Amino acid sequence: MDPSSSGIQEPFDLIRLSLSERVFVKLRGDREMTGILHAYDGHMNLILSDVEETIMIVDENTAGGQGAVSVAKRKMDMLFVRGDGVILVSPPSRT
Amino acid sequence: MSFFGFDQPDLEREKLRFLEGELNSNEDIPTYTWAENYDGLGDALQEGGDELNDETFGGIGTVGKDFDFSNPALPGAEDTQKYRQGINQSPLPSQKAFTSPLSTIPVPAPAISLESIWDDKSPFSLRLNGAARTPSRGPPTSTPRQSGIRTLQEIEAEMRAAAEQSREAVALQQRQQQLLLQQQREEEEFYYRQRQQQEQQQEQELRQRLLYQQQEQQQLQQLQRLQQQQHLQQQREQQQHHRTPPPRMLPVSQSPRFLEHQRQILLLQQQQEQQQLLRLQQLEEQLRVEELERQLRAQQITSQNHYERQQPSGPTLAEMEARHQQQLMQQQQHLRQRSQSPAARGGQHNGQHNVPLQESMPYLPQSIQLQQRLLSEMAQAEFLRDIQGLSQADQEALRMEAVRKILETEKMEEKRRRKAAKIAHMSKYNDLMTQSDKDFITRIQVSQLVSQDPYADDFYAQVYGAIMRSRMGLGVEDERVLKFGSSGGVGLGVPIKGSNRRPSAMQRMQQQVERIVSNAKKREEEKGLHAVHSLQGALGRTSGRSYKASPRQLLQVESSNGPTSSPTLSNAQPHPHISKQDIASEDGAAQAARLGREALGGAADATDLVRRDPLTHREVLVTLETLYDLVMNVEQLKHDEPHPEEQGEAVEEWKQQRDELVEQIWTKLQVMVPLETSNPHPFISLLSAAKGKKLLPRVTRNLDSQRMFTLLTLLIACFSQLDVIANAPILENPEDTPERASVERQTQAFLSSVMQSILPTIVKGELRLVTGLLGLLMDRNDVVAVARTKPGVALLTLLLTRVELIKQSIPEEIPSSADEEQWQMMFDHLFQLLTPHFTRMFPTRTEEGEAAESQDQPVWQFLAALALHATIQQHQILVTSLREKVLENVVSAKKGWGMSEEERQAKLANVDLFLHALGLESSQITV
Repeated sequence: MDPSSSGIQEPFDLIRLSLSERVFVKLRGDREMTGILHAYDGHMNLILSDVEETIMIVDENTAGGQGAVSVAKRKMDMLFVRGDGVILVSPPSRT
Repeated sequence: MSFFGFDQPDLEREKLRFLEGELNSNEDIPTYTWAENYDGLGDALQEGGDELNDETFGGIGTVGKDFDFSNPALPGAEDTQKYRQGINQSPLPSQKAFTSPLSTIPVPAPAISLESIWDDKSPFSLRLNGAARTPSRGPPTSTPRQSGIRTLQEIEAEMRAAAEQSREAVALQQRQQQLLLQQQREEEEFYYRQRQQQEQQQEQELRQRLLYQQQEQQQLQQLQRLQQQQHLQQQREQQQHHRTPPPRMLPVSQSPRFLEHQRQILLLQQQQEQQQLLRLQQLEEQLRVEELERQLRAQQITSQNHYERQQPSGPTLAEMEARHQQQLMQQQQHLRQRSQSPAARGGQHNGQHNVPLQESMPYLPQSIQLQQRLLSEMAQAEFLRDIQGLSQADQEALRMEAVRKILETEKMEEKRRRKAAKIAHMSKYNDLMTQSDKDFITRIQVSQLVSQDPYADDFYAQVYGAIMRSRMGLGVEDERVLKFGSSGGVGLGVPIKGSNRRPSAMQRMQQQVERIVSNAKKREEEKGLHAVHSLQGALGRTSGRSYKASPRQLLQVESSNGPTSSPTLSNAQPHPHISKQDIASEDGAAQAARLGREALGGAADATDLVRRDPLTHREVLVTLETLYDLVMNVEQLKHDEPHPEEQGEAVEEWKQQRDELVEQIWTKLQVMVPLETSNPHPFISLLSAAKGKKLLPRVTRNLDSQRMFTLLTLLIACFSQLDVIANAPILENPEDTPERASVERQTQAFLSSVMQSILPTIVKGELRLVTGLLGLLMDRNDVVAVARTKPGVALLTLLLTRVELIKQSIPEEIPSSADEEQWQMMFDHLFQLLTPHFTRMFPTRTEEGEAAESQDQPVWQFLAALALHATIQQHQILVTSLREKVLENVVSAKKGWGMSEEERQAKLANVDLFLHALGLESSQITV
């Protein structure tokens, strides 16, 4: 299919393609999440369902001077993501 | 200059027009103006009663609260005048005027006495009468109410006159009296004689009359407001006498002497007021009498004791009251004989006929009636106690009773007063807004509800409303949107059940809105003509609707701009931008080519087959977005469906539009693409996304049955290409991985959406079709693999049950033996294929307990459907292969090792499902 006929006019049209699909969202504060995208708006506010959030916690107080990174995960059924924290929205990598 | 874009109304002109009766209330209302709703009510206001304004605003002298109540005499001047009136005309029913202010009895030439006097003697007579005509008044009529409409000029004149009046009140009064006396000297002689006669004849009646007046004045004292009303009434009547010119003296011109006449009127008014004052003085006397009377009451009751005893039940209230009045009368007569002055006696001529006291009672204010009743009751109790010698306890009880009654009454009274005060308090806001004000505000509010697309603006409410309506069992055609041609409409809320007030309100709103819309259109047209005035109406609207607000676009990119100016993705491609027209034509060409291929023989024409790669995931998503757009357009179009009774052209146009959209959808679905084009087939690819599955029911609603058969055939032919079939083994994974969850979700979506959308087609299908579908399924797919998936089991069950239903249906539909043979052959083939795998059809246990049983249930259902069609040999095969599974279930259910009751029930229910089809039952199995 010719991409020019795909009706993609602006970046948001790409996000539109992912509606009701699983997306990967990268957020400020070392957070990432995947979930099924239900809605979005011009501020990139997102409504996600079936979300798994991954939080990177850097502990700077370890002896070596190098921060140790630990990962925390949590799951939520439905989530509203405020747009000002969104860095990236992408379809999940396909195998 | 216009205000808010509305025509500036000329109220003054309107008023004049109204007064001249020109204003047509049925006038068309083409544009909104303030004057549009001007109903002339302002002019219809009852302006009579302005006489009191002078008193209220201090226009006339001083009318203080410190009335001199001690002077019981009436002034002679008033007497004379009253008397004169009494003689000259038939006795005026002044009493009636007191009690029924709106009495419409036409006063026959009421002003004759005075006017005729003027006519005879006064040098001003003609002019004065001429001046009685107010400048703006309509043709004079003799009804008293006409005088209620007075113009500003009149009132001003009056005010001015009043000011003057207050300065020279005394002098004028004297002058007036002198004048009157002089003018009526001859008449007076006659009157005087007559008066003497009448005085003698009516002595008794007059006394009663006075009594009545005194009653009335008691009323006056206790209710200041009532007094004012009466005062007003009297004055109005008086004034009417003078202000309505007799027909024979129709005014001819306006006179500068008009003011003079007004002054005369005011003089009379003042006399009236003085009379009122005197009445109050009389009242003082009356009060003293009453005081005396109260003191004497016990005595009186005692004297009537004998009478009381004759009635065992005691006197009724009315009797008590009557007696009370009687006593009062006697006493007052006695008093009056002693103290009445001649002047006071003369004043009695005022009303020549008397109303019995009892008749006047209803006109007493409630409070007085109550008081009297209470007093009489108390008196009765008192007398009973005194005379009949009741015991101490009884007396006590009676006193308590009396106190209780008084308290009760006081409470009631207090309540009533508070209520009245509340109403009075609120009433100060009465008529703060005119009807046109209210209309204006309503219009502003309603205009906020109007939108170009009531469905979209109110989408969730509309959908919710539709669901509610279907739940309430209302028709779908009961639209909750008011439409106005093509320009827009108003979304209405969810209907309220059982409300009959609603429809009329809705109709009213609809009319309002229609008017607003037409007005808005007109204004829009005007605005087009005068672009300078584009700010018109800006103040009348609230700016911005937050629910509609979209972020302001920083980049406004026209898609048709050159390739250099557009940052969109399409221009990132190496080849130049292809305009939309090009796309359309290309699509048209592709369509034509495809149609040609199909005409040549469709899929069978292998030479023409273009092998393609399957659609990428992104292509699928893009296509689905386009499809969603199209589907939503079609759904929108359905809402805009014109009424059948509308002219055929609109309906035709609408149908054409819809068909066009459906055609586009059909093309996009790519069902007609040859089977071998790709693997998976493009259509199947579209179903790989969850939203593609969910889209299908919305699409199939718009497809005709021929297309549905085509779609169904394609779906079954490519069944194993479906992601839910291909990925089904992931479901066997006992671990709870994201993949499994995803496949689970897809499977659920497939079962609920895709199966649901093909169900109606299969249910309608004949045996031949079902046979063909089953054959196709077995021919093109690995039926064993399919049968081990949930969607596969569901499809097979669906086909088998349809055939069962056909077999059981009414004789006409019984298929030909050839078809039946065909089916049986197909079934045997299926049975044969599945036979080794019956036990493996059950899904791997990923859950325990009851949930596992419900997972098994579709398989049992399918096996039961299979058993229904099976021959006896096949039954045996079925039983043999499933024997272990059945036994296991039954045994575990009956022994119940650590199982809940629900799980046991579920196990047995599943087994029975299958055994019943064989004509057996789980209870027959003995463990």
